[in-house]
Amino acid sequence: MPRLAPFAIAVVLAAGCRPADACRGDVCGTLVVAALGEPATLLPPVTDQQLARDVHDQLFLKLADVGMSANTIGDADFEPQLAQRWEWEDSLTLVFHLHPDARWHDGRPVTAGDVAFTFAAYTDSQVNSPARPALARIAGVTARDSLTAVFRFSQAFPEMFYEAVHHLRVLPQHLLGDLPRGQWSTAEFGRAPVGNGPYRLASWTPGVALTLTADTGFFLGRPHLARLVWRFQPDLAAAVNLVVAGDADAIEVLVSPDNVRRARETPHLALYPYPGLAYGYLGFNLRANGGASRPHPVFGDREVRRALTMAVDRERMRANALGELAKVPPGPIPTLWPLWEPRPRALRYDTAAARRLLAERGWVDRDGDGVREKAGVPLAFAIMLPSTSGLRRQYARLLQEQLARVGAKVAIDEVDGPVYGERTAAGRFDAYLGAWNVDPTPSTGIGGIWTSGAIGRANHGGYANPAFDDLVARASSGAGSPDSVRALWRRALETFNDDAPAVVLFAMDNVAAVHARVADVRIRPDSYWALVRTWRIPADRLIARDRVAPAAN
Amino acid sequence: MAAWLARRVVAALAILWTVATLTFVAVHAAPGEPFLPAAERPADPAVVAELRRQFGLDRPLHVQYARYLGALATGDLGVSFSQRRPVAAAIAAALPHTLFLAAAALLLDYVLGIAIGLVQAATAGRRLDDALTVVTLMIASLPAFWVALVLLLVFGEWLRWLPVAGAYDPALYDALPLAGRVADRLRHLALPAATLGLLGAAATARYQRAALLEALGQEYVRTARAKGLDERRVLLRHAWRNALVPITALLGLALPFLLTGAVLVETVFAWPGMGRLAADAITLRDYPLVTGTAVTASAVVVLGSLVADLLLRAADPRVRVHD
Repeated sequence: MPRLAPFAIAVVLAAGCRPADACRGDVCGTLVVAALGEPATLLPPVTDQQLARDVHDQLFLKLADVGMSANTIGDADFEPQLAQRWEWEDSLTLVFHLHPDARWHDGRPVTAGDVAFTFAAYTDSQVNSPARPALARIAGVTARDSLTAVFRFSQAFPEMFYEAVHHLRVLPQHLLGDLPRGQWSTAEFGRAPVGNGPYRLASWTPGVALTLTADTGFFLGRPHLARLVWRFQPDLAAAVNLVVAGDADAIEVLVSPDNVRRARETPHLALYPYPGLAYGYLGFNLRANGGASRPHPVFGDREVRRALTMAVDRERMRANALGELAKVPPGPIPTLWPLWEPRPRALRYDTAAARRLLAERGWVDRDGDGVREKAGVPLAFAIMLPSTSGLRRQYARLLQEQLARVGAKVAIDEVDGPVYGERTAAGRFDAYLGAWNVDPTPSTGIGGIWTSGAIGRANHGGYANPAFDDLVARASSGAGSPDSVRALWRRALETFNDDAPAVVLFAMDNVAAVHARVADVRIRPDSYWALVRTWRIPADRLIARDRVAPAAN
Repeated sequence: MAAWLARRVVAALAILWTVATLTFVAVHAAPGEPFLPAAERPADPAVVAELRRQFGLDRPLHVQYARYLGALATGDLGVSFSQRRPVAAAIAAALPHTLFLAAAALLLDYVLGIAIGLVQAATAGRRLDDALTVVTLMIASLPAFWVALVLLLVFGEWLRWLPVAGAYDPALYDALPLAGRVADRLRHLALPAATLGLLGAAATARYQRAALLEALGQEYVRTARAKGLDERRVLLRHAWRNALVPITALLGLALPFLLTGAVLVETVFAWPGMGRLAADAITLRDYPLVTGTAVTASAVVVLGSLVADLLLRAADPRVRVHD
């Protein structure tokens, strides 16, 4: 049955609303994104929410940005943005030359003073930026003249350029300079930002939508799409409904095979697969549940962790829960990293070996109830997971079933998000199903999560092995040839897999769904909407919402 | 009247203080860290600690409570953790959506419920009455979220007659003429209002039927019939008027039902009202927003109850006698 309402609206539009002359050439159209949430603020330093970062990509430029290769080593693969060019004065001094046509949306020029101000803000403890620790190796930023910004590093490392540009979205000093830094987290600017990117904020209706309009004077070329609308729908299934029903045009990740099937069966949708930056794992608490000073009675023993890892058929679980949307990773890495290799390097699935190893460590089922014991302590533990994740719930049930076969009794402990966050941070769990959406680089993606330096931050299970830490530190420092660095990372992954502080279960291959009328769709895996200004809607494919004239700017 | 009103105002303030206190205690006693969601990005403990300091969570609980009550007395509901803006602004944006939905649902509830009640009273004891009794009983016992999902599936997904989410189409709304905007609002309103309205109508119909049957047994009705008035006139002009009094009293009870039902219905239909705001606030442990929505919802209910009482006093002189 045809949808009557859009037809009626199209008639009303044609009859008497704003004229349909909003399109000039291929500068036309509206893209409605089904957004899984809503930003808290749009002031870049004070949030690292995924959705806020997506919108920031359109409002606030960086000096340069990661290219399609997602290579973060050196500077060769980076694309100029606010910086027209750059050069290294010496091994610790990087000089950026700003594009002379770059402008804030209020018409003021973007200056090197803005760049220095931005660095000072991001590194100010009062602003409390989540990106502050990542800037620790930059000693300072100064303005040599109005268009020249100079970065000085305290040490040399392969990803100096990445660290200089990736975290900093340049901010307007003339609008934020007088705002007390302690008030940035709730600043009105975060609700009505003035940026320098291809789009500017037109409206933000909390709980409903956020609309950006193309900046007609954007110095790198006017975007083709006239409007971008993020329509807030926190529930994944409901967000997919919006796209399938045609009330939204795009969703960046479909997550489950069911959603992919629904999108594939929808004639007006086109699917775009791309490598992901997310992986999921079963993390073991190596310390006693809630008592960091004692080892965990089960997971404190490396051999027991190895046995439990061997008892898990990760390929079968992946096929069951995610189908072709994910791969079993060779370690705690996403599919996008150059380190990715299809051959699993982790402990292989072998239940006989798992049983043997458990018995060797004294875990034996003496009373015949199907659960092993050791010194009166049963081989029993709970897997904690956030109740909002259907995927992790599915994995928990599969793990429960598989681990029961080797004599482990597993309870499933579903808690809501803030409780999950609190308990993982405090170490109040036995095991947990976690997922990380990591940076494009292993330096922070492994170093910032699994080393002993990350205990208390992201290394919730308390895994600590000096040999692993040393390998990660040496690989991150980049000393030696690219092949030797790669070999160091491989050895680090092998050490991790041998120690089995976690069973890395899946690494996502993402699939986006975009309305088929949209052409030139390119998705950069580390930042879904970063290239949206180059997307377009041909004149013969326009629908009613494409013809709506954006607010003048 | 003045003394009665003064007593009601004092009682209303006591209710609001109780709600504010209980909600404050409940949200702070609930486990969970507001600034540590189940995010997929590592969180720096120093950043979390600084956020707790900036929002006053590093202070002892009694100090937080005293500050909260002091601010509440001046109408300041605090700043939302998750929206980084005043709670009052968040509520001011959401409340009209909920009131609009509640008004539409209430209209449907009363129009449909009273009509069914009238039909049932007029056909009491016959098959139609029995059938309507079964249907209304069945609908009244259904959970709101289930009805919402069924309506969404049938009219939004299968038939695709109505939009599946939101209060309006944000990509088109501003470009529509007035008639188009009204039509767009009504299309989006249809499913959530039908969910709440149908459930309410089922209960209202049962009350209306009982009230009418009681009125029809009164002596003044027998007198009217003895005067030779036709049954339709007896029902509508004599019995129904009196049977409206208990239905008016129900109005005060309908508001809490609509507001609590709205939490689920607004979540299912992504309706940007108070219900969804409160549900999100609870999920995110946004303490000021949870207490703010609870206090505001209580104020609306207290006010609704007061209005219902005033209407009842106007409709039934006996209420004033018993004052």
